[in-house]
Amino acid sequence: MCMAVPSRVVAIDGSVATVEAFGQTRQTSLMLLADEVAVGDYVILGAGGNFAAEVVPEQAALEALAYLSQVLADGQA
Amino acid sequence: MFPEARLDVTLRTHGGAVQGVVVRSTRLVQASRLFAGRRPHDVTQLLPTVFALCGTAQVLASLGALEQAAGQPLSTAQGPARHLLLLGEIVSEHSLALARDWPELAGLAPDLGMVRRLKLALGGLRATLYPAGDWNRPGGGVLHPDHAALRAAFAEARSALDQLLDAPLAAVTSDLYAYQAWIAASPSPVAQLLKQVSSDELAAFGRGPFQPMPEQGPADLSARLETDREGLYVAQPDSAGRVFETGPLARMAWHPVVAGLIGRFGPGLLARLSARLVEVASSLQEMEDLVQDLDNDQGAAACLVDGVGLGLVEAARGLLAHRVELEGGKVTRYQILAPTEWNFHPEGPLARGQAGAPVTDDLLRRATLLAHALDPCVACDIKVENA
Repeated sequence: MCMAVPSRVVAIDGSVATVEAFGQTRQTSLMLLADEVAVGDYVILGAGGNFAAEVVPEQAALEALAYLSQVLADGQA
Repeated sequence: MFPEARLDVTLRTHGGAVQGVVVRSTRLVQASRLFAGRRPHDVTQLLPTVFALCGTAQVLASLGALEQAAGQPLSTAQGPARHLLLLGEIVSEHSLALARDWPELAGLAPDLGMVRRLKLALGGLRATLYPAGDWNRPGGGVLHPDHAALRAAFAEARSALDQLLDAPLAAVTSDLYAYQAWIAASPSPVAQLLKQVSSDELAAFGRGPFQPMPEQGPADLSARLETDREGLYVAQPDSAGRVFETGPLARMAWHPVVAGLIGRFGPGLLARLSARLVEVASSLQEMEDLVQDLDNDQGAAACLVDGVGLGLVEAARGLLAHRVELEGGKVTRYQILAPTEWNFHPEGPLARGQAGAPVTDDLLRRATLLAHALDPCVACDIKVENA
């Protein structure tokens, strides 16, 4: 599946954010987002990870991360 | 660390030709099994987040499956609204590829301001139709379309696309003559890529036996899913040995521009890339026409009883199927078959289109263009190995 992993914004420098998911950090551009983003928000990255595609409410992000943790533990890859 | 799903494609060459195409996928094709034990509403809440890039299509396929399982008829007002959401995602996904990826494939820098404009143009459709945010509720949410806001959004999308193409989208895709004249003359980066791909060899690259997906999916789809306990079918689907091509080329092969290109060059790179552009024009027109059919609707309370359901939608990248089994108000089995599993099947259109292709200096570029034209929903790495 083309599964998306909600990533938590840990730092912002201009229009570039450092985001974290499952212990991995990476940098992504915020320029395609309609909404303002703050440290602590969750975003979904587009394919390839260069651009954040969507801001996700915290509750939805945490539920998705719990599900994805199950997927990971289940060895579905 | 969460492993990012990807496709690795290796072209094995020998004696001056591609002898084999090996496709390795790490896509999580069985992850939907873990929906078992959840309530239907929880599944449709989770889907837009975990499948954010095609979230609308995923939810609509899920709703179709859940409502069929429950024998719950959908009110006539919900159909056009859901179809509008689906078309909006198709236009959005294709437009982003045109603005963001095609310039890079042509060796040009994308205009990121244009990419942002296109992304935002249709970004508010769900809220414009279902202001309470319940568009993903089984039975249908409270539909209260804002007709003026919808028309304004479509006008903005059309204006942005006209600017991207440096010509009116509708005129460019009206017939083959106009389309080819635009490619020859336009400075637009979209036309530049199509111009590069218009040489006889490149235009025809990737053509193989064309086996378009039937309109309602393969006749044995439901039965194959039902018996697929091991998940082999959802990983590498077929229908009596045939591996269909799904997506814009299969859907738009009737269109005069696409049919003309298939007639001239076969179902290769130029026809596939053009089908995506033509589908943007066709879908946006359909959206504009649909607005007048939209009415208010209260939706229906979910009435989910035991049963089995299959939901099919034509998503941006092709046919998406969800199958659900419900028991005691909970999901007991959940399966998803996505379009990438057809198009990037080891015997699918990507592999068929390159088998026997001559080894040229630009083989890697050709293969990269073909993968883009078939549009996988995950990152795709391609390499050429001389055996």
